[in-house]
Amino acid sequence: MKKIFSFLSIAALGVGLLSGCSGSGESGGSADVDLRVWSFTDELKEPITTFEEKNGVKVELTIVPIADYPAKLKPALESGVGAPDVFTGEIAFLKQWVDAGYWENLSESPYNADEIADNYVPYVFDLGKDQDGNVRALSWQTTPGGLYYKRSIAKEVLGTDDPDQIGEMLGSMDQVFDVAEKMKQKGYRMFPDEGSIRWFAQGANPQPWVNENNELMLTEEKMSFFDHAKTLRENSYTALAPEWSPSWLEAMDKPITVKEGGKETETQVFSYVLPTWGLHSVLKENVKETAGDWAVTSGPSPYFWGGTWLGVYNKSDNKELAYDFVKMMTQDDEFLTDWAKETGDVLAYNPVTDAIKEDFSDEFLGGQNNYEFFLEQAEQIKPGIVTKYDQQLDTLYGTAVQQYVDGKMSKKEAIEDFYKKVQNAYPDLTVK
Amino acid sequence: MKKLDRYGYVFIAPFWIIFLIFSIYPVALTFYYSFTNYTGSGVAEVVGLANYTRLLTDSYFLEAFVNTWKIWGVNFVLQIGLALLLAMIFSDMRVKLKGLSFFRSAFFLPNLITISSVALLFGILLDWQHGSLNMMLLKLGLISEPINWLNEPTTAQLSVSLILTWMWFGHSFIVVMAGVSGISKDYYEAALIDGANRWQTFISITLPLLKPILLYIMITSLIGGLQLFDLPMLLTDGVGSPDGSLNTMVLYLYNQAFKYNNYGYAAAVAYGLFVITLLFSAIVFKGMFKNERRKPGQV
Repeated sequence: MKKIFSFLSIAALGVGLLSGCSGSGESGGSADVDLRVWSFTDELKEPITTFEEKNGVKVELTIVPIADYPAKLKPALESGVGAPDVFTGEIAFLKQWVDAGYWENLSESPYNADEIADNYVPYVFDLGKDQDGNVRALSWQTTPGGLYYKRSIAKEVLGTDDPDQIGEMLGSMDQVFDVAEKMKQKGYRMFPDEGSIRWFAQGANPQPWVNENNELMLTEEKMSFFDHAKTLRENSYTALAPEWSPSWLEAMDKPITVKEGGKETETQVFSYVLPTWGLHSVLKENVKETAGDWAVTSGPSPYFWGGTWLGVYNKSDNKELAYDFVKMMTQDDEFLTDWAKETGDVLAYNPVTDAIKEDFSDEFLGGQNNYEFFLEQAEQIKPGIVTKYDQQLDTLYGTAVQQYVDGKMSKKEAIEDFYKKVQNAYPDLTVK
Repeated sequence: MKKLDRYGYVFIAPFWIIFLIFSIYPVALTFYYSFTNYTGSGVAEVVGLANYTRLLTDSYFLEAFVNTWKIWGVNFVLQIGLALLLAMIFSDMRVKLKGLSFFRSAFFLPNLITISSVALLFGILLDWQHGSLNMMLLKLGLISEPINWLNEPTTAQLSVSLILTWMWFGHSFIVVMAGVSGISKDYYEAALIDGANRWQTFISITLPLLKPILLYIMITSLIGGLQLFDLPMLLTDGVGSPDGSLNTMVLYLYNQAFKYNNYGYAAAVAYGLFVITLLFSAIVFKGMFKNERRKPGQV
């Protein structure tokens, strides 16, 4: 009796242990799921429902918050255990992933993605290619940037609130400073913080951070960020509200107090430099009273910020269905038309945008057709300047500029400090 | 009899299997990676001791080491000082303070808040332009310009130390109180009759008898402190700003591994951290019990 009891308990423990193992080994791999998708937002929820209804299949969406996304996805992709069939990639780690070869090569048959290259905004299509020029991931959206401003302030200070005319007044950094000075005279601040101009500091001819010889390229144009940021600070053109801070968000809708030189001044911020998604996910979320009083125009140079790509996992055993989903997200006229009209997302797929772009207008922007504006901006963006180092280099560079702006380091010291930190982070790079 | 013995092993087997898979295997693998240039994907190439020689000459690791000690040290002195002071007040026979259980939970509360909420909360409190702290100091006329607390190395480090103190003094207080209540009241009565004042009672009775408890607090706090990561990560840009002053050892490890993809070097940093922790725990232990054997009769 005793023996049987011990045997049973051991068996029970053993089974518990083993089932624990197999459970983690095939997480999400239940038999009735046809396709597994991983992403870092809930954006794909509705498309997936549409896809399920269309094809009569069951799709499982796993959402991992962006901060953990690369760390959670990478081991799954490396080992192939519990990995998705389709997964999305954000611009921050896109380049690293296309080069790592986790995504199926879409340039090969039966996909032949190169044939549809002309249907896309050039820089978006280009970013999905690996180092050998093979297409690995596609995107449905384009995320060019603009400069969102308050119409009422523009009218008061600049005499017009027309986006085209304002855009012309902001054609170069010098012109931006002229406008900023006018804003200051009337008691407004041009930008919330110095970081606002970082995209424009790359100039009209942006260069990649790292060239093909693995050398860090801190161009003259990039370096102008130091001087421009300092100019903003010294002339009190900003409201000293750092990006994403509570005051940065609050100043979108309300007057803000600035404490400097021993006194407090109440002021309003004129403009925010944000891309397409900034309208829906940032401005509309935080602005109530001034809704309708906004417009978007171009700054000194075109830029883009963010974006999501998706592709087929190269070890997936259901590649056909997986590519069907990618196809629906990036090439399906009917679906994409509905999607654009519903979300206002600016698409990268020309056949659809050509058909619908003229009918757009956004209440929040006083009826402006931001869709056409952003598509024009997207066409001007130069492909091939994103490297896998960008995310971290931008952070380190931003810190260096901040040190200089705060007066803690000279420009030379800040640049040397930046070089040293880059070398430490990426020992393989040649840093001057 | 012999047969029954074997069952024992079988029963502890589940623990050992899990322990081997989830604890020993990763630790051993990390040790292997510390000799390679693994980047998180692809093949790991063995590079010998290169990562360790780099570690020994890495000024950023040294900076992280010094920062970690500074931040932890200030925090520990304040935390243990506050806990002892409070324990002294609450255990005083002459005062007989009421509401101990209320205060005990009140002091402990900060420890229950998730660290990300704490970071967010203090980020707002310490905000340069709109933080409550600066508003208050300005209104009181103590400063004329707002201080950018999290943008100056000294104040940033001090801020982290004070936040840690705020979070942990309640925990230390509870442990110290438990230790104090374990001391026989006879000693205190005797001291009272002999005319010892509060300070003398504390120095000669409470403190020596609390030594094992204090050692426990110190070692756990030291090990936790050397792994300081979340607050510095969340309070500023996550790479140790301002001026590298919040660059702690684990933050450095994290950035090397998960931001810069230098997994091999990060593994070496992890082992460096392990050796440091081991070394200092041993020193603390030795230091505390150095004279123990000589005074067996002493209270």
